[in-house]
This record gives sequence, structure tokens and C-alpha cells, in this order.
Amino acid sequence: MKKLITIGLPSKGRLKDKAISFFDNNGLKVLQSGKERNYFGTIENKSNIKIIFLHAKEIIQRLGDGTLDVGVSGLDLLNESDKNLRDKINIQRKLDFGSASLVVAVPDDWIDVQTIADLEEVSFDLRSKRNSRLRVATKYPNLTNDFLISKGVTQYKIIPSLGATETYPFIGSSEIITDITSTGKTLADNNLRILKDGMILNSTACLFSAKKKAAKLQPFLNSLG
Amino acid sequence: MKSKKLSEDIIKIFKGNGFVLSEPDVLLESDYIIERSGEKFRNSMLTFEREDGKTMCLRPDLTVASCINFLQKKTSSKIYYSGQAYRRSSKKGSGFINNQLGIEILGSKNQIQDDFKVISTILSATKKVKSKKIQVKVGDVSLFKSLINALDMPERWKLRLIRHFWRPNYFEELLKRLEKNTDIDAVTFDTDKKRFYEMQKMDQDRVVAGRSISEILKRFNKKIKDPRSFRDGKQIVKIIKSFLKINCKLSKLDEKLLDFSKKNNLQKNIFKDFKSIHNLKKLRQDVNFITNFGRDVEYYTGLVFEVFSGSKEIARGGRYDDLLKSLGARKNIPAVGAAINLKNI
Repeated sequence: MKKLITIGLPSKGRLKDKAISFFDNNGLKVLQSGKERNYFGTIENKSNIKIIFLHAKEIIQRLGDGTLDVGVSGLDLLNESDKNLRDKINIQRKLDFGSASLVVAVPDDWIDVQTIADLEEVSFDLRSKRNSRLRVATKYPNLTNDFLISKGVTQYKIIPSLGATETYPFIGSSEIITDITSTGKTLADNNLRILKDGMILNSTACLFSAKKKAAKLQPFLNSLG
Repeated sequence: MKSKKLSEDIIKIFKGNGFVLSEPDVLLESDYIIERSGEKFRNSMLTFEREDGKTMCLRPDLTVASCINFLQKKTSSKIYYSGQAYRRSSKKGSGFINNQLGIEILGSKNQIQDDFKVISTILSATKKVKSKKIQVKVGDVSLFKSLINALDMPERWKLRLIRHFWRPNYFEELLKRLEKNTDIDAVTFDTDKKRFYEMQKMDQDRVVAGRSISEILKRFNKKIKDPRSFRDGKQIVKIIKSFLKINCKLSKLDEKLLDFSKKNNLQKNIFKDFKSIHNLKKLRQDVNFITNFGRDVEYYTGLVFEVFSGSKEIARGGRYDDLLKSLGARKNIPAVGAAINLKNI
């Protein structure tokens, strides 16, 4: 009997559909359970492959702890995770869907703030005038920290956010935000503007594999064109 | 037990010089430390959450912990501390616990006298426990400030260079940009100008994400008027770089600075705030002055020094006039202090 391979795919939305078609295009037809909300799947005529549908963040975690051998998730989520976890995961390849950017955005009406250099000035200003730090709301504290500090913006404080981060500057929870966006529409609709040099990361969906299982997985990964 | 004896010997000298024991809390509020030291520091703290939701940390540093103690409990202002500080380090194999032993003068009213007191106390302590040849290196962050303020360049650039002096890598990047005579953000303002006029008619006290309309417009206006680029970037970078190369015996410093000013067509008196360093001649000790020094700790504002025995750093310290205010003091409380590096003794 061939060794069992467990694959994690996103459980929702466009990312799920695109991930399924990626495997379909490689001759691996993903079969979902007849029960609509069941989280398990299989591949037609491949009894050694098991599919699990999971939250994209969960896929990174489970690749790290060895539950999954292969997974489709976002580069942003991998790069945001701790180094210990990142070190356990290989980026097999970038896929041609799920592209989005992590960006720094400020309120539209901050017309004097166009670039990170402006932000650096404003943050030092806040610090010296009010003895408080510029608050940055984000779902990506690690990537945001690395980016801001590399650009000399040091006088800030992270406000962790779980969702609807765009509202934070307007309800008094933060001054600015960093967030993931594909078209920029949500930002624009909420009166936020991306800084000219405020690109933190260009992300896409990726095919990941667990480093520990590299040898066992090689034939399968090679078969994916 | 040898190290215990060492500490005791050192503490005797601290006490003999009038320093009083400070025993700061072991547990501090994390937010307090982040507010002061920034997000970068978060990962190095050992934290846990209390029942009431507050995140607490083990004191990561005894200088900061002593300052907090001073502000909250109004302890004596001339203190020494001896105890453990706790932080995570990215270096492999390094533990969580650092034994720290040091002195601080908080609310230092007489800069020259207090700088001298700290450095001379530390010197007599190190001499007591270390027989190898002792050397002292000093720098003064405020000298750099004096230089920058004397140079002819846009205000924004001056502030930028001063703000980032303590971050050598980013500082280098700034110099490169300055050399090319381009400001970081040479953008056009046409589209925003329209909004500028609209916003001028709005309620100026309205607040958008923590900043008032008038505050935003004021800075916008200033930005338009401030020169975007200027001609002498290259020359200025040359001057800054040659300043940062100054490294000489303290006794030769006057001569060296005068020579530097002359060569670069600068006024003779730009380095006038300088008495604290000169006063160190009284130490009767080999002192080297290095301009490119004290650039790894953000909170130093004036004198910085390190004491070496052979090639090992055994103590370091400096003046930090803004730290207490950033920890919540209502007014400026100047301070100076130093710590012994027990590991290297």
C-alpha cells in the first residue's frame, strides 16, 4: 500500500474553489463528501490521498505540527507566523490566484501623509507632543513590525485586530492600519488611502509542504506539473 | 560564591559614594514598557496575563524598573540596584536571567557634577575588583546634535538625522539619500491641494483619527514650503562622515574639534556644550573620546561611556534625560547612570 498523503485546502470562498481547480487541472479530481458541511474529501482513484478542508490559517499550523503533508494557503499567513513554524514549511510554488497585498493605510484626510517618511515624522511628533505612540491596528503584527522598523518608524504601538480593521481609525481604536487588500475597494470605501511606498508584502496563494515529509512527498509533488 | 564576594565589594563602594539601595518591583505592567521601548521589545519580555486582563512582565531591565519605582514610590534619587532582570534573547544558549548591578542619579540637577560622580564611582568599583589595565571610552550624543544644527540643510532632514542617530543601519540609509540630494518623498501635491482648500473650510477642531484638521493642514502647508531637495547634500554627508571618524585621547579633543571645524568651514563655537566631557580629565585616567559611540541604546541623550579591562567591556552607562518623562513623569527629570557587566569580571 502506498503511503497516505494528507492535503489541507481552504474551506471557504474563492480560495477553496481555485484550490480545487488547481488540483483538477493536474488530473487530481477532488471529491467532496455528499454532506454539504462535511470537512473531509478524497481524490478520484487515489485512495492514498486524504483531503481536509480547513481555515487558511489553520492549514499553516497543521503543516507545522505534521497533521498535514501538503496544503494550499496564503504567503501572507506563512510569513506572519513565528519563525519556528516557518522553518518547518516549504514553499513548493506560488499559485496564480489569491493575490493580495499587505499595505499601510491612513485616513484619506491625512493629506499631509503620503509616504512612510511622513508617517515617521508624524509618529515622532505624536510622541513628543502628547507622549503617546501612533497606534497601528492590524491582523499582521509581525510583518507590520518588521516593515515599520526597517523604515525608521519606531514610535508606534500595535493594536491587534481580528477583523473590520478598516473601522479602527474612525472609532478611536487606532490612528492608522495595515491590512490585506486585493482591489483596494474596502479601504477606499472606508475613507482610507494606501501610502505611496506602503507596500509591505505581495502575497499569493501557495502550495506548501511539510519539510519533515520532504522525502516521502517528492514523487507526489513532482507529479503536480 | 566568588561572584557574590565581587558584588559585595562593588556595593560597598556604591554605598560609600552615597548611593542608596533601590528595590524595584519584579512584576511590571507590560504596556508601560512597550509605551516606552516600542514594539520591537515585546518579544524579549517574559509576560503573562493577570486575572483582570492586564499583561504583566518580569522586569526586563533594572534601570527602567528603578525609574518606575522612583516615579511611583518617590524613592531616593541617588540609588544603586543589585538583582536579576529577565528577558528573552534571540541568541542561542543565552538564558533568561541577567544579574544587574548599577547606579543611577535620577533628577540629576548638576549635570557636570553628576556625570562625574557616576563615572568615577564606577571606575573605583571596577578598579577594586579588576587589576588588569582599565580603559575608558566616552562619547557624547549631544555633540552630534550640535553639529547637525550648525549645518545648512532643511529642518526636516536635521530632525530625521538626529532621531535616527542611534540606529546606525537606518542612519546609513538616510545618508545615502541625502547624498543623492533627493528627499525621501519628492511627490507632487496637486490632487491633495484641492482637498486642502476644501478642508480649510471645515471645522478646524474636527478630529480625524486622532489628529485635528488644523494640525493636518498646518503640517501640509509646512511641507509644501519646506525645500524638497537642496544642493549641498554631498558636502554635508562628507562632513558628517568625517565627524563620526573622530577618535582621540581626551586631552587632544579640543585641538581635534577645532581642526575639524576649520577644515569644514564651520564656526568655532558649535561644540560649546561640552563641559561634562572636559571635566573627565580630572579622573586621572586614560580616556578615549569617540564620536561614533553610544549608538545602540536609544535613550542616551548626552555623555556615554564604557569601561574596559583588556578587551572586555566591564561597565557602561550614560546620561538619559528623556527616559523618565517617557515613563510618565509630568516634567523633564534628567538622569545619569551606569551598570557593571558582572559576566565579564
